Amino acid sequence: MKKATTIVLLLTLGISLVFATGAKEVSTRPEVVKLQVWYAISGASGEQFLALAKAFDASRPDIELELTYSGSYADTATKVSAALLSGDEPDAAIMAAGQLYTGGRGDFSMENLVKDPDFNVDDIFKGMLEYGMYEGRIAAVPYGISSQVLYYNKDITDKAGLDLEKNPPTTWAQFFTMAKTAMEKGNVNNSPDFYGFDTSDGVWLFKSMLGQNGNEVVRKVGDRVQPAFHEASGIEVGRFWKSLVDSNVMPAAQHTNAEKKFLAGNLAFIAASSNRVARWQGTTNFSLGAIVMPGFKNRSIALGGNVAVILTGDQYKREASWELLKYLLEEENHTAFALSTGYLPVRKSAQNGAVVKEALASNPLYKVAFDQLDNAWAYYHFQEMGTMDSFFWYALDEIEKGVSSVEVALAKAAASLEKEIE
Amino acid sequence: MASLRKKINIPVFLFLLAGSVVMIFPFVWMIFSSFKTVADVYTYPPKWLPSSWKFTNYKKVFQMIPFGRYYFNSIFTSVAQTAIQLALSVTAAYALVVLNFPGRKFLYTLIRSTMFVPTVVTLIPLYLLVSKAGMIDTYAGIILPQVLSAFTIFLLVSFFSSIPTILFDSAKLDGCGYYRILSEVVIPNSKSSISTAMLFAFLGHWKSYTWPLIVTNKAIYRTLPIGMKYLVQESSSEYQIMMAAAVMAILPVLIVYLFFEKQLVQSITLTGLKA
Repeated sequence: MKKATTIVLLLTLGISLVFATGAKEVSTRPEVVKLQVWYAISGASGEQFLALAKAFDASRPDIELELTYSGSYADTATKVSAALLSGDEPDAAIMAAGQLYTGGRGDFSMENLVKDPDFNVDDIFKGMLEYGMYEGRIAAVPYGISSQVLYYNKDITDKAGLDLEKNPPTTWAQFFTMAKTAMEKGNVNNSPDFYGFDTSDGVWLFKSMLGQNGNEVVRKVGDRVQPAFHEASGIEVGRFWKSLVDSNVMPAAQHTNAEKKFLAGNLAFIAASSNRVARWQGTTNFSLGAIVMPGFKNRSIALGGNVAVILTGDQYKREASWELLKYLLEEENHTAFALSTGYLPVRKSAQNGAVVKEALASNPLYKVAFDQLDNAWAYYHFQEMGTMDSFFWYALDEIEKGVSSVEVALAKAAASLEKEIE
Repeated sequence: MASLRKKINIPVFLFLLAGSVVMIFPFVWMIFSSFKTVADVYTYPPKWLPSSWKFTNYKKVFQMIPFGRYYFNSIFTSVAQTAIQLALSVTAAYALVVLNFPGRKFLYTLIRSTMFVPTVVTLIPLYLLVSKAGMIDTYAGIILPQVLSAFTIFLLVSFFSSIPTILFDSAKLDGCGYYRILSEVVIPNSKSSISTAMLFAFLGHWKSYTWPLIVTNKAIYRTLPIGMKYLVQESSSEYQIMMAAAVMAILPVLIVYLFFEKQLVQSITLTGLKA
């Protein structure tokens, strides 16, 4: 009986082994790894990205890229969300808040990939690396990163007797006086719709201002994210914001028109993305200037833009995707992308490179964004950060229109965010 | 001459002329802007005519996106969607008006209630269905999920209901079956309403952006609104390029309007609908 049992056991084990071996798919690297890459950047930035990606494709016979424009940041988020549910996700993507789709699903494999000796992660600006983090861990690598810069219409400031090159404002209080003077004395078009200052992205600027006033946007307490923007120093920022509107220096709730107003010569100053340098320079009807953003207690600047993520679970596709990302982030390639689009170079070494030095010498406007790099920071990224931005937007809208006081509007936004996090 | 002057009501004529100018102004502005330089677009006070005529704006559209392919795809998918949608909607509306079957009212209420469900709510479930059916990156994937329209059925039901029932009864006495009543009584008497429904359907499909974007990855299946968005997003300051693309993009819509203008005006007169 014992012998029979042993034979049966051995036979079962043998059959299991045979079937196990037989059933197991022997995974070998295909001769050509096909990668589907989605990108949420268009126009000049999209063209430059495509040129680099195609050059990579041509240089790697073992990797084939299928490149897809995935729409705006918001459209891409919807497209990726749907694709992840059905398993049709791309292998890699260039998108905003991409870390929510990797880190948010517990995928922090990027932490190991960036340790690749060929990548030199220490060469990436700290603030930019943090921009690709999810809850404090690397879940994406920075790609099209920008910061807000204070652009000005030199014709207006000259008429108002302001010399921004010699005496740039270092604080928001100084800036407020200058913007008011520009408004009172610099209306070159004699336009009835003329203002001293506006921004095309109020939420982004407000976050920078919070950091400048020593106020966090959100805070991690234990394992929970809590809003912090409604605290005392945040309310101070809100009051300054309100004073811009009350004194008629900034129009109420017209941020979407800010760039059009500025380009038409009806706005003296505008806080807008550094990537506007590449677009605006040489195309405006007036002399364009730019200065480093003023500050409150410090001059810190919140980063914005897009990141690169790897979404595929397939080992060989992951490896090939990483090769692509490494190529895109090589100093030479990323600097070429940055200089032609106005995004910022993510590598510290790029600042000392001959190409950048030459570009900065011939184009001082680029220098402004570079000068801000050491003050650049990224706020804590978490799942509800997109929703937080919409609460922020409503709060600023209410403050500007005088619907709610600064305290009430920010407290309301904080309460809504807490509810959303719960 | 004098009699002609009598016939023209000068104040009304001037009022209508002013209205026409207001309506035409954006189109004329769009056409002129499509030939401007960036500096011309943003100059203040605004300039009517370009300082130099930049035909290259049109060339740049073709360089930035595969415009021709997108154009073909938009025409193909919009025409196919409109045709299928009308065929389904006309038969559905006919059944709801002419046929008597149990649950008819409930079914009609159910169809109308879908108009209150925001598209964004059904987007991801619909995508999952299309993905399971293997229709991602296919024309069928773009066309089929968008051919059912409660609004078109609702519109046609309201028109078909206004056809005197005596016509149906007479047709039945003459030996017509349901299909002949549809083809020889209902459709000929509803040309203007079907044209209106067709126009609404075509415009909706021509402008459709989110669904074709979600369901396609390959450029060969993509439609014009996606290409337009590519020009808009990052080139937001380059209005002249967008205007050049917009001038080319509105042509099919203008042609549809020109062909069905008579029916459209007639249906608006009958129902008070605003196009």
